[in-house]
Amino acid sequence: MKNTWLEKNTFHYSDFKDLRNLVEIKEKKNLAISLCLPTLNEEKTIAKEVIIMKSELMIRYPLLDEIVVVDSGSTDKTEEIAREYGADVYRASDVLPGIQNFQGKGENLWKALYITKGDIIVYLDADIKNIHHRFVYALVGPLLLSDRIRYAKAFYDRPIAIGTNMIRATGGGRVTELVIRPLFSLYFPELTQILQPLSGEYAGYRDIFERIPFPIGYGIETSMILDIYEKWGLDVIAQVDLEKRVHRNQDTKALGRMSFVILKTFLNRIEKLGLIEKKKEMHNKMIQYKLEKNCYKPDIRQVAEQERPPMIDIPEYRKKFLPGKFPNKS
Amino acid sequence: MENFIEEVPSYIEKIKSLKETILANIVMIGQVPSPTFHEARRAEVFQERMFEAQVDECTIDEFRNPIGVIRGTNDKKPPIFVVAHLDTYIDKDIDHNYTIRKDMIHGPGIMDNSAGAGILVSLPEILRKLALQFESDIVIAGLIYSIGKGNLQGVRQLLGAWKTPIRGAICVEGGELGRLNYYSDGIRRCEVECIISAEDGAEYRFKPNAILILNEVINRILTLRLPQRPRSRVIIGKISGGFKHGIIALEGTLGFEIQSDSDDMVKTIFRDITDIVDGISHEYQVDMKLKTISSVNAGTLSFSHPLVKSTVAIMKKLDLKPMADPSGSELSIFLSRKIPAVTLGVSRGHNYHRINAQMEIEPMYKGIAQIIGVMKAIDSGVCDEEHLA
Repeated sequence: MKNTWLEKNTFHYSDFKDLRNLVEIKEKKNLAISLCLPTLNEEKTIAKEVIIMKSELMIRYPLLDEIVVVDSGSTDKTEEIAREYGADVYRASDVLPGIQNFQGKGENLWKALYITKGDIIVYLDADIKNIHHRFVYALVGPLLLSDRIRYAKAFYDRPIAIGTNMIRATGGGRVTELVIRPLFSLYFPELTQILQPLSGEYAGYRDIFERIPFPIGYGIETSMILDIYEKWGLDVIAQVDLEKRVHRNQDTKALGRMSFVILKTFLNRIEKLGLIEKKKEMHNKMIQYKLEKNCYKPDIRQVAEQERPPMIDIPEYRKKFLPGKFPNKS
Repeated sequence: MENFIEEVPSYIEKIKSLKETILANIVMIGQVPSPTFHEARRAEVFQERMFEAQVDECTIDEFRNPIGVIRGTNDKKPPIFVVAHLDTYIDKDIDHNYTIRKDMIHGPGIMDNSAGAGILVSLPEILRKLALQFESDIVIAGLIYSIGKGNLQGVRQLLGAWKTPIRGAICVEGGELGRLNYYSDGIRRCEVECIISAEDGAEYRFKPNAILILNEVINRILTLRLPQRPRSRVIIGKISGGFKHGIIALEGTLGFEIQSDSDDMVKTIFRDITDIVDGISHEYQVDMKLKTISSVNAGTLSFSHPLVKSTVAIMKKLDLKPMADPSGSELSIFLSRKIPAVTLGVSRGHNYHRINAQMEIEPMYKGIAQIIGVMKAIDSGVCDEEHLA
């Protein structure tokens, strides 16, 4: 396997530091750009993300046209704080009320397609502790500067926050290295060039996102890469080095549940592609064990596996957006 | 002068309209760890932010202090300096994650002095928003090597290399809103180190304990008769030593600071403490070293100096009650060079030097208005005559 894609489509955020130039190109191409932050109880980090993006990429350089928070029903002050600092805040369950409601990050990202007005949509996790506006402009950069690239994904060093006040220099990315990379190596060696396929920060053109299905939970990143790869090829994808992203450390059990969903999503995808044949349906419950009073007891979790169809198949969406001219890009 | 003082309260709403810019600057600077002697990355960010704010000139001086200059309208007027130290007391391995809530920013170092530095780099855009022009150039400087063992080297070097007159200066500190420092004590910050040989030797019948010896130093310092005039005191600020509970401490360090409004008295007290340390070293036959970590000379503006009077007037106009205390910060270096200067705080906060430090957001707007009011006062000429005591 040649690493030609890796060499050609891998960038560093500093390649896109000329924000004035990005704004000029955006205006020349008459594009609108939306930032979407999916949230669930993110009151500690949401204000910082909104403030920095608004200050740097709306007020100082008008690269973003809107910042939209899609919330899964936070019980803390996430919505109030995000609104206070100027984001447009939506409760996911209030969007497209005519269809059945699900809960999950993928659900929020999918519904953001209906709410936002941008031709380009940037998705960022809302729990980034060391948020910087490079997280947005570096993902938008390849989309604006290249006519070939339609989807850009972040990679970075992943220091993790331990406890409340200490940082460990390396760590994280365990699900990538233990689950996704082996699977890609087995079935799609080309995709191993994507260094962090599970990163929660990516941007793409609406006409890409609206044409792919969205699993509502953890499987969203995996399915997105596989679907874009299958429909448009690897060449439309870019990856950008954002250097450092500090995130919350998750315990092994939580990573186990995440891996369960990712594996399931992956296996379903490759079955659809005719790469494997399943002799029986997979189970949909993750079974872990916990020690209680000297006894091991099963901890069974039903893990969300619903998948939203491509947004373009939703009548309300087609009514609002098609034939591709958006009513208001101001 | 009264005219612009009347206008100062009206700045607040316009400053508030730049809320995102100011908070973004505070967070972006504050999240970069910056203990003394390791401020390089924060200085870079400070400079980047000034560059983004399109300051007329943006540079780093020979000592690596980042500096921005907003050009004034009259090149015959000396510049006004507005400075904030970039270093903090927080170790670089501590997670410098900042959290913004509705009314509060939380994060290590926020009050001393990330808020001060963040507000300083926001000044160019705030002045633009207020459509304020100054006759003097405004020199905005982030200062490195300032606190503790930094011994105010950043500001010393900056002023040492600045060959032309300076009209006046404002030192910006995160807290506390309402502080008005216009005089500084003479300060000598010292450490006594006690080291006992780990080898068992004939010189000790009973092995001495470094902590108990330092305790003896403290006791004797406390017996010193310190005058009320000139006002003088010794603050015992730090003590460390030992290895574990059940082992005699063979090493210990005591940190203290001599403060007085008379430089001569600082010297006298230092001599007394030197005698104490030498005496105890001899009595117990242990190695003791007394080191001076930093020192600054006393300096003062009189309360009747026009800069002080107009600062008080501005604060009162903003319903702030001025609180006067001596300051051992950058102020002392300005005053020692006969440059009229004050130190102002920008907001109120809690747990200043702890990792869970907090700053209230709302009072900050008043704090910024106050700084700009004092800049206007200096630009109107309140420092233009020799008023230093």
